[in-house]
Amino acid sequence: MKILSKSNLVPFLEGLGLEFKVNAPLYEGQDVLFGDLDSSKLATDFIGKPRLSPKEYSFPQRERLFTFKNNGGVEIEAHLNETKRVIWGIRPCDLYGLKFLDMVYLSDYVDPYYQARRSNTILLGLNCNKAEESCFCSSIGTGPFAREAFDLLFTDLGDVFLVEIGSKAGKKLIEKQANLFTNATSKDEKQAGILEEKSKKTFKTYIDLGKVEAKIAGASSSPVWAEEAAKCILCGGCNWVCPTCYCFNIEDVTSGDKTQRVRYWDSCQLGGFTQMAAMNSRATQAERLRQRIYHKFSYNPDKYGGEIGCTGCGRCIDVCPAGINIAYILRRVAN
Amino acid sequence: MKRVLTTCEFCGCGCNFYLGVEDGKVVAIYPSVSHPISQGRLCIKGWQGHEYIHSPERLTTPLIKKGNRFREASWDEAYELIVDKFNQIRTRYENDSIAVFSSAKCTNEENYLMQKFARACLGTNNVDHCARLCHASTVVGLATTFGSGAMTNSINEIAGAEVIFIIGSNTTEQHPLIGDRVLRAIEKGAKVIVADPRETQLAKLCSLYLMHKPGSDVALLNGMMNAIIAEGLEDKEFIAERTEGFESLKETVADYTPEKSSAITSVPEEKIVEAARIYSRSKKSIIIYSMGITQHTTGVDNVMTTANLAMLTGNVGKEFTGVDPLRGQNNVQGACDVGALPNVFSGYQAVTDEKLRNKFEKAWKVTLPPQPGLTLVEMLNSALEGSLRAMYIMGENPMVSDPDINHVEKSLKALDFLVVQDIFLTETATLADVVLPGVSFAEKDGTFTSTERRIQRVRKAIEPLGDSKPDWKIITELSSRLGYRMDYSSPAEIMDEIAKLTPIYGGVSYSRLESFGLQWPCPSPDHPGTPYLHKGSFTRGLGKFSPADYKTPAELPSHDYPFVLTTGRVGFHYHTGTMTRKDWALEREYPTGYVEVNSQDAKQLGIKNGQTAKVISRRGEISLSLKSVDTIAKGVVFIPFHFAEAAANKLTAANLDPVAKIPEYKVCAVRLEKG
Amino acid sequence: MAIITKVCDEAAGIKTFTLEFKEPEIQKSFDYRPGQFVELTVFGVGEAPISITSSPVNKGYLELTVAAVGKVTRALHLRKEKDVAGLRGPYGNGFPFDEVKGKNILFVGGGIGAAPLRSLINQMFAYRDNFAKISILYGAREPGLLCFIDDLEGWGKTENSEVLLTVDAPDAKWRGNVGVVGSLLPKIDIDIKNTVAFICGPPIMIHFVLLDLLKMGFEEEQIITTMERRMECGVGKCGHCNIGKSYVCLDGPVFSYHQLRELGEDI
Repeated sequence: MKILSKSNLVPFLEGLGLEFKVNAPLYEGQDVLFGDLDSSKLATDFIGKPRLSPKEYSFPQRERLFTFKNNGGVEIEAHLNETKRVIWGIRPCDLYGLKFLDMVYLSDYVDPYYQARRSNTILLGLNCNKAEESCFCSSIGTGPFAREAFDLLFTDLGDVFLVEIGSKAGKKLIEKQANLFTNATSKDEKQAGILEEKSKKTFKTYIDLGKVEAKIAGASSSPVWAEEAAKCILCGGCNWVCPTCYCFNIEDVTSGDKTQRVRYWDSCQLGGFTQMAAMNSRATQAERLRQRIYHKFSYNPDKYGGEIGCTGCGRCIDVCPAGINIAYILRRVAN
Repeated sequence: MKRVLTTCEFCGCGCNFYLGVEDGKVVAIYPSVSHPISQGRLCIKGWQGHEYIHSPERLTTPLIKKGNRFREASWDEAYELIVDKFNQIRTRYENDSIAVFSSAKCTNEENYLMQKFARACLGTNNVDHCARLCHASTVVGLATTFGSGAMTNSINEIAGAEVIFIIGSNTTEQHPLIGDRVLRAIEKGAKVIVADPRETQLAKLCSLYLMHKPGSDVALLNGMMNAIIAEGLEDKEFIAERTEGFESLKETVADYTPEKSSAITSVPEEKIVEAARIYSRSKKSIIIYSMGITQHTTGVDNVMTTANLAMLTGNVGKEFTGVDPLRGQNNVQGACDVGALPNVFSGYQAVTDEKLRNKFEKAWKVTLPPQPGLTLVEMLNSALEGSLRAMYIMGENPMVSDPDINHVEKSLKALDFLVVQDIFLTETATLADVVLPGVSFAEKDGTFTSTERRIQRVRKAIEPLGDSKPDWKIITELSSRLGYRMDYSSPAEIMDEIAKLTPIYGGVSYSRLESFGLQWPCPSPDHPGTPYLHKGSFTRGLGKFSPADYKTPAELPSHDYPFVLTTGRVGFHYHTGTMTRKDWALEREYPTGYVEVNSQDAKQLGIKNGQTAKVISRRGEISLSLKSVDTIAKGVVFIPFHFAEAAANKLTAANLDPVAKIPEYKVCAVRLEKG
Repeated sequence: MAIITKVCDEAAGIKTFTLEFKEPEIQKSFDYRPGQFVELTVFGVGEAPISITSSPVNKGYLELTVAAVGKVTRALHLRKEKDVAGLRGPYGNGFPFDEVKGKNILFVGGGIGAAPLRSLINQMFAYRDNFAKISILYGAREPGLLCFIDDLEGWGKTENSEVLLTVDAPDAKWRGNVGVVGSLLPKIDIDIKNTVAFICGPPIMIHFVLLDLLKMGFEEEQIITTMERRMECGVGKCGHCNIGKSYVCLDGPVFSYHQLRELGEDI
């Protein structure tokens, strides 16, 4: 493990900027959003997570896949993005989110667009010393401190960062600017351990994951789905902000004689998601709400060897204009 | 990626979000957690509704009509033709032979310039915009009772209310972030009463639902007031100190016993009394209303009656109370505020008032017409009968949004010359002689004023597409060429001028709008803005009780047209769909129109769910698919008006409120047949 | 890239398109199983999943039978011979073939649902001796919506094979059975224990035929059907066709009734 003094964070990131595109959480007014490194706006002392996860660096909101000319001429131009990128300040929940997306997109038919972006992206995580009100990653086991899925992992010890190395790529980054780092002592690692325990005590939202996993298969006719779905205004926000949501829609956008095939984020909470010519296989909001929860806590774990499809970040709780709360729903399922 | 914080271009909630810009295109949306209204949340239109900005169908050059088709033209060509025609018409006829439609979607600066253009350049007060079709009754009704026609309190007070009475508003669908506050209030234990002929989402979640007959609002509210007075629940202190005209109100509502009220409204007596008790017993009661009560021939009466109810119980002029009209468009409040109305300059200063008119004449250096101009529907009528010869329409689509579309078409076609300025070739633009390409909210700077009187910045994120120009620029260039020079280096400068001439905007300037805007009245540069109105005293001094008697809607069902048609909206599309129907996520939810019919009625008609029905009125007919529901009463049908191919407004009538001139979209008579 | 070499009207609002890949090597190497589908791109409009209705024995071309019900399919119906379209695939799992050799086969099809079944039927008829009795029950809402009339005639004339037709609403010329396709079930005589049933058609038809077959004594593993879901990417990523832990485009669209019951909450 290494130590990076806080005053060396900006030099380190700017040093990375010579070789990579560097993204980090930035203050836009009073909001924290991931953006292109701007040291005057760098957010290092924020609590919780930016409203949108950094999944969009590998899986953008709107992505042009390829362009073709309409006369069927073999003029297909693919738009793979291979920008060499480093993202700093990723919370453990989002690290797990990216690990989950890797599992989905880099298996079976590998998604070349996701792969191009993701394989050129280096992840520098930042542990959470304090939870936000909606956070429940400690119940899922994905936080507040990360255990995996990072190239480097930063812990804020006060004046310095403790830096854990998670991969060869991460190690290389340190080696290239070795003068900024010193070696960590066992005291530093112990302090990190204490901070983690302290952080776990700051959580306000909990779920009993074991009970949920056991009871969920039998909860499909629970009244909770219709009750909660009655408030849903179909904004899709729960999907847009979710670090593990990966559904998308493809549209062909034609202008003149050129057509672009574009991929957009899609939301299973919208009625049109399952609409067919003759019928809609999930016609009620209750079914759609149930699908979202089941997809994360039952279907995906079944398909992907037990990996939960939820990071416990709690963004879906914060973003809902109807106050639909996943932790409350899971508590009802568990009981 | 560049991030630009801007105000949403859809509804009157006034949310803010960041547009993510890459390579000169808008490619992403980020909510603003710190914004006081949005709080990091958005509705589907805010999250996903912006694809239209880069739609290949965007207008990028001026178009001139040749025969039946358009040809691309240069700006010079287009301007010269307009100047030529306008001058011809002005010399041949009088100034009032030209009318201007301003746009509730465009910025305050643009609306201000549009009314200045009409008055100072064209010499006419014939300027109006779609507020005429939605909240004209509010402007008149609340101005009469309170002295100010705007939402009295703020959005963030709603979650703190004890009682919320919602009449004629499908809040969670049409004003989602205000619906958000109502849902939070419910979570905190507030009692919510919903009065609506359709059982909306909120109607299913509220404490007391009243399904009243379309158009029976005065009877319902008078019935409630009758019950309040009968049980001595009125706020006697408030009435004595803060109002006038109580005796006349008492006399009028004495007639509306729960029995009589129930007979007119179809709401059970006990429910009317219960609603009255719940509302009056709290000192933190809010009334929320929207199109459901304004779009009637009795629109002004309806609004005044809600104001009466609030004053009767002392629920206005304090925090967590008030009368909250929810303005539809992103800037319909602003468009009214800056004077895009035929009878007032900016700040609701009457054109007939000599002193006020002189103030504007001095500032604008020109003599101004003293007579109020025509309202929207009157303009179309005048076009048909020949006294109106030309129109300049900006950002409006009357061919889908105005009542009695067949009549609208005839009227517009009767004009000698029509100029339409828009971002797409709308149904109205196809009838124009000249089409000018304006820009979307992402391509210009300016301000929007939300329903809670919050003036907020709209910030330019990308360059205008193709050869299009910001609308404010087009107005200034056209005006200058027509002989009235307009020269502004930026929208900020235009706002400075607005502030100088408009007391309620007196303290507004772009530097003060950086942090989430200001709520007017904001009369001076050091004034912090006003969260709620009528504190201590009403804008007019004492609140005026303005009693109204129940009058029937203009067109009642009859033997040949036995159903009541009420029109409205869905949450996924915006008004005439010009923008939202270019978006896959929104079109996928509602690809076309439909008619909601009570399941028993549908059975009697022999039309199954999903089958085609023909809906016919005295003015036209449309074919669309039938949706069999149990959320609407027998004898009432509902059609959303967004879909030009199944245009609800082909059926509606231009029956107007006598004072506000707002059409009765909510009631007309139709019959249904198998399609 | 594929060229449309033939367009013919199959039924009211339904057309059959014959396509050949532009590149002959791709056409030669393109191998598929009955029951699989391709993603067809109508240039300038969009992409849609269409089941393949020709059989692997038909070399050198592909046939797709398409109803005009959405944006892409409506645009496709306006395309003519020599027009170019995009194809990718084949996707999906396809019907069991070798596994059902030696058995009686019962086909129950409704409307355009017969399209994937036709692919399997013709493949089976090409290897007719491998199968015992083949019964084909087919129906549509009205006579004008019956597809593959020529094939049906040919199948009916083959030995140890029978074809029964029905319509819900007859016209003046109709002489056959009137009623839903399930009404044909009592008219056949098969040894159920040694039979496999393949059902494909509108969801409501499948629902009732399933019940009828179970009542007749079919076991859950003996009933094979195709699952209808909105599919887009065809490769199990976009999420639209997700049911339970499966993707209809990957693990289906062909499922046995037994598998269907285990699939998930919203069947």
